[in-house]
Amino acid sequence: MGDDILQVRDLHTWFELRRWGFVHVGWVRAVDGVTFALRRGEAVAVVGESGCGKSTLAKTLLGLVLPTQGEILFEGRPLHQDLRWARSRMGYVQQDPYGALAPFLTVRRILEEPLRIHGVPARERIRRVRSVLEEVGLVPVEEFLPRYPHMLSGGQQQRLVIARAQILGPKLLIADEPVSMLDASVRVEILQLLRALQRAHQLTILYITHDLSTVRYFCDRVFVMYAGRIVERAPVQELLRNPRHPYTQALLAAIPDPDPQNAQRLRPVPPGEPPSLLRPPAGCRFHPRCPVRIPGVCDRLVPPEFEASPGHLAQCWLLSEERQPEPASRSGP
Amino acid sequence: MLRVEDLRLYFRTSQGPVQAVDGVNFELQRGRTLVVAGESGCGKSSLARAILRLLPRNVHTYSGQVYLDGLELVRMPEERFRREVRWRRVSLVPQAAQNALNPILRVGDQVAETVVIHGKARTYAAARPLVEEAFRLVGLPLDFVDRYPFELSGGMRQRVALAQALVLRPDLVILDEPTSALDVLTQAALLNLLKTIKWETGMSFLFITHDLATASELADEVALMYAGQVVEWSSARQFFTGPLHPYARALVGSVPTLREDRPLASIPGRPPSLIRPPVGCRFADRCPARFDRCAMDPPGFWVDGDRWVKCWLWEETRGR
Repeated sequence: MGDDILQVRDLHTWFELRRWGFVHVGWVRAVDGVTFALRRGEAVAVVGESGCGKSTLAKTLLGLVLPTQGEILFEGRPLHQDLRWARSRMGYVQQDPYGALAPFLTVRRILEEPLRIHGVPARERIRRVRSVLEEVGLVPVEEFLPRYPHMLSGGQQQRLVIARAQILGPKLLIADEPVSMLDASVRVEILQLLRALQRAHQLTILYITHDLSTVRYFCDRVFVMYAGRIVERAPVQELLRNPRHPYTQALLAAIPDPDPQNAQRLRPVPPGEPPSLLRPPAGCRFHPRCPVRIPGVCDRLVPPEFEASPGHLAQCWLLSEERQPEPASRSGP
Repeated sequence: MLRVEDLRLYFRTSQGPVQAVDGVNFELQRGRTLVVAGESGCGKSSLARAILRLLPRNVHTYSGQVYLDGLELVRMPEERFRREVRWRRVSLVPQAAQNALNPILRVGDQVAETVVIHGKARTYAAARPLVEEAFRLVGLPLDFVDRYPFELSGGMRQRVALAQALVLRPDLVILDEPTSALDVLTQAALLNLLKTIKWETGMSFLFITHDLATASELADEVALMYAGQVVEWSSARQFFTGPLHPYARALVGSVPTLREDRPLASIPGRPPSLIRPPVGCRFADRCPARFDRCAMDPPGFWVDGDRWVKCWLWEETRGR
């Protein structure tokens, strides 16, 4: 417990949907009952398709969106008790680097801004700006300081966004799809940079992505989100080798690796599409698309989180039957 | 069926001409799929526009030859091209096609419009059988015909755009990043659909993508572009298992893989400006294997008879 930097309990973030501005239509349940803890210094990926609530989760954790219900403890304190303090210890790496940078500010001003807000004196500011630019590889520093964002390439812009997230010396970095807008050859550099930063500063990273294939390169654990809930949590290698939730299995089967054999065969894809978050299906949210659903169970009861093996949790009723024999067959830790 | 020879497309800008497509050569047989791969800004979308002659106003140079079944397209009069070739024989699924639909027209009518404009039917009602057939081909339920784009998900709208491209049964369909805006499962479903269409209809596809993993899903052949030029052209099997050009090798090595455990390598530097590109090999600045010859522009060399590569390293194997 003492080693958890972030604890999230039963978090719900719902958005109210209205017609003509005042008639209540319903709630969009973007995040709907999420519980987890992040250990200090680990990198965790949140994987899911668009609209599964992963970006809303990130924004709720950053205090950019108010949760509807639930508890967020950052460094043991409620997040909303002292948001300014919490934000000085959290960094945010946005998806679209160009959209996240003010076009009329120079690199220097962009990086000084958080330091000003948090009351760092001028001489200290420029010292820190230089050191963070060096760290993210925007060198020679003097050349980059007076530039504007549009004078940088996509990869350099993303480095600048990372520098800005890093400049207050955060403990937790939340990176929302940091490489999805970049070309393949640049993507690797940014992933390597994030990994280097994590090692150098014992950073905790929450890496939000739709791309499972980038996850293994620097994450320790993966959370898989589907329709507002975390359906599976496991160490990366364990999840890739032995996915337990049918949704995770479908997701893994759908991702191609470059292989000329791919053109010869079809990939298994579950029918249908993710459900509306306005009226999610009863029971397990994946059951209408699930090839192995248990009639009468999966369509009525919401599955709790079952522990498939130590550290590997999945919200799937299939695991409930295995649960009893398992401790006996897998004795020991 | 399609033969492209020394195709060039330059755009006029205030700083000088941008060489978006610069001397591209390749061939495509009927029923085959050629993937044009490359990073953003390498000219792959401009290549699609050059073949379909969907040119913007600031064209500086448009030259070379494009033969479709022996018919030369670059110098064909525009009106004849519009009536005989565009969409009837070569069609396009544009990038972000799911957002290219008209929001206030029913999707079935948008497909029917294509049929009517190209003279395959007089009225929308007469076009209906062709529309329904196209919907069936792309796996859209027939009751979607009367829906509006906002009532469909991204994957379904993408299928409507595909139906528009397929409804006249062209010989060649150009797909410009058809899956890049879609989710993993939607993308897999669409690729399955494209494979099925390819196997069943025998149409040819030119599939443009930046993503080598999705490229391998459809490719019979791969043409890799860098800075406006094709640098390697070979069968998919040869390309993915042992590429020849140093850029191709680096690019294949930079793709994160799910199943295979191998270190990732990035490519240092960035592509050159297309306004005043380097005189010699355009990849030379970033190339780990460059040597003095690279200051001159490499011609294409044939390796093992059927692999084409634009790199001096393969000069010795010429003619073999």
